[in-house]
Amino acid sequence: MNLGGLVVAVAAVTVGSRIAAIALLPEPRGRLAAIVDRLPAPLFAALAAVSLTGSDRGSGDPALLLAVGCALVSTRWRSLLLTVIAGLGGFLLGQALF
Amino acid sequence: MIRPDDGALTAAAPVAAAIGVFGVIYGAAADQVLGPALTVVSSVLIFSGAAQFTMVALLASGSTALAVLAGVAPLALRHLPLGAVVRARLPASRRRRALLAWFLIDESAGLALARSAPVERTLAVTGALSYGAWVAGTAAGVAGASLSGVEALADALFPVLFVGLAALTSSNRSAAVRAIVAGVTSLVLLLVWPAVGVLGPLAVAVAVASAGRAT
Repeated sequence: MNLGGLVVAVAAVTVGSRIAAIALLPEPRGRLAAIVDRLPAPLFAALAAVSLTGSDRGSGDPALLLAVGCALVSTRWRSLLLTVIAGLGGFLLGQALF
Repeated sequence: MIRPDDGALTAAAPVAAAIGVFGVIYGAAADQVLGPALTVVSSVLIFSGAAQFTMVALLASGSTALAVLAGVAPLALRHLPLGAVVRARLPASRRRRALLAWFLIDESAGLALARSAPVERTLAVTGALSYGAWVAGTAAGVAGASLSGVEALADALFPVLFVGLAALTSSNRSAAVRAIVAGVTSLVLLLVWPAVGVLGPLAVAVAVASAGRAT
């Protein structure tokens, strides 16, 4: 397979999974619907762990940990914008300190 | 469909900016492997940072096409739970949902679920803005742009964003506990067994959501 064909194949896998998930699979019902209803919070928490450990800086980077810490503290105000500002502020502070 | 008068653009802008920065990094890295034209085409057709960085890293290490597809497929599986959550809140025809599927990325789905505005609008606005930023960033990276000053900041945005999304979608104490359990368990799992990749945390999230009774 040449590189162009591979790019098309990767696109088919990626876009196909999106379409299957949102347009082709039936709407969850019964117990599955209850699980899907409870899924967002643990799913995004799991993705936070993925993005933290997948960072080029490494999950032990003090500035990154301070960013996440500040973001966590700010969640009590339930504002995404405030959380992003607090997190990035913590990151900049961490970079200045460490 | 896109009426940017409800704060959707404001919410999507920082996310799209960070995605654009990663687009520049991807463009610069992939150019060496795919060449300039195919690098931009890959971002136009795939629109997935995780899949594209994986593809380029595997190709650069000499992997076969089959190995690349085997590496990308598990990443695509994350769309199934994500799509199921969005699907349940998206009262649109199948054709419309198929069109919106193009914009189903972690960040657009997260914002769509966390905001009080209709899911369809936030998904479309965030997705369109992110897609434009990703393709433009890739083209800039291929052209030799460098954003070393803001790369680190963009790197920090995603964990922070997902922490915020987890908090906003924790509508009650039970959901907050589930988020904490899923986040901590996923973190420990990834630190102990990095090779588990995104599939491990996805399984953890589904298991945590499945446990116990609804509240």
